[in-house]
Amino acid sequence: MNTEAGRQAKFNQLAQSYGTDLYRYAMWICGNDALAKDLVQETYLRAWKALDRLKDPKAAKSWLITILRREFARTFERKVPKFTDLDKVVVTEESELEPDEQTEMKILRQGIMKLAPKYREPLLMQVVLGYSCKEISEALDISKSAVMTQLFRAREQLKTQMRKDGVTGNVHELF
Amino acid sequence: MSMNFSEFKRLLGAEPRSDDPEFRRACHSSPEFEREARDALRFEEKLEHALAVPEPSGLIEDLLTISEQSPSGSGNRRLLQYALAASLFVAVGAAGIVWKMNPSWDSVEEYLVDHYRHDGVSLMTRTQSDTAEDVQAVLSELSIQASPQLADIVGVIKYCPTPDGKGVHMILNTDTGPVTVFYMPDTEVIDGETLAFDDVEAVLVELQSGSAAIIGPDATTFSSLQALIYDSLLPLPGNS
Repeated sequence: MNTEAGRQAKFNQLAQSYGTDLYRYAMWICGNDALAKDLVQETYLRAWKALDRLKDPKAAKSWLITILRREFARTFERKVPKFTDLDKVVVTEESELEPDEQTEMKILRQGIMKLAPKYREPLLMQVVLGYSCKEISEALDISKSAVMTQLFRAREQLKTQMRKDGVTGNVHELF
Repeated sequence: MSMNFSEFKRLLGAEPRSDDPEFRRACHSSPEFEREARDALRFEEKLEHALAVPEPSGLIEDLLTISEQSPSGSGNRRLLQYALAASLFVAVGAAGIVWKMNPSWDSVEEYLVDHYRHDGVSLMTRTQSDTAEDVQAVLSELSIQASPQLADIVGVIKYCPTPDGKGVHMILNTDTGPVTVFYMPDTEVIDGETLAFDDVEAVLVELQSGSAAIIGPDATTFSSLQALIYDSLLPLPGNS
């Protein structure tokens, strides 16, 4: 990208295409609205500085996620704050749900936050970012088989949590 | 060779939306498989809904301002001040100045209000505290430094957009509670101008390099802080 305007256009495309997904991912790994916004902002600041290194537009999303994960590790991993903002963040979006569905969502979200990072992160990559198992294995530098096991266990733990916390009876009636 | 139920459940739990042909065929291979696949997809919809937290308003707009901080971009902006008396209490939306700065903000006052409403309060609730070293590292990128006295009371520091490019957002832990400071390296302000919005008051300060806005519940308590910031936020040697 030779011109400043071209550089800006390229960057703006990254912000508009992936900003929301990055925020959601950040929100679930750091567990705090304000920190997630900071993390995304820092990620894009670094991306702006290093934009010329991004040669393949198809690799943009994974490039941004790599920056974000590195930034998270550098800044927040040693002191992860308590997850306190979620109800405030999602409450306005949930008004269309029935009360029992809202309860179900709350239990599910709590379950997601209770997942060990090794289960939560692949699940976020798959569901929030739309990564395939192969892409997750590359991002996390683990085997595809290990990714599949972690994804399976993540979902099983969530279903178990749902049954334990909220609903008795046949899990098929719940889902 | 067809997939057994145990293997099918494992794949379903790992990648329920997989488009692998063998997996898709297995989804319809028997009523038992079909029911399992249907239940898995229903759970998946709930999971997707649960994870899709809404993005905060202004997030993308804030990100877009980052690219406007390029050297060529910031150099083109010129301050155009028409009129305003100093020390004026300005209500939101009644600013008497027109500035030509970022197209998103018609005036420095509008920028302050917009920025503070965006993350001013949330940043004050941040539990993580930055160190004096963090403070100096962030400021040094803008060719500025803080005296130890100032750096010691900075609880949070981060980069932020300003009307004229990259700036710094700080939370200072003062005797009267947390106070927000926006440092704007390339923005000119009227020194001492005050404004009030929401439940806070702000004062604008011309510094030896750049300017700052101090925001808190009561501007009358800012005088010593104003002096501290003026004396303590200084250009790095060789950058004055």
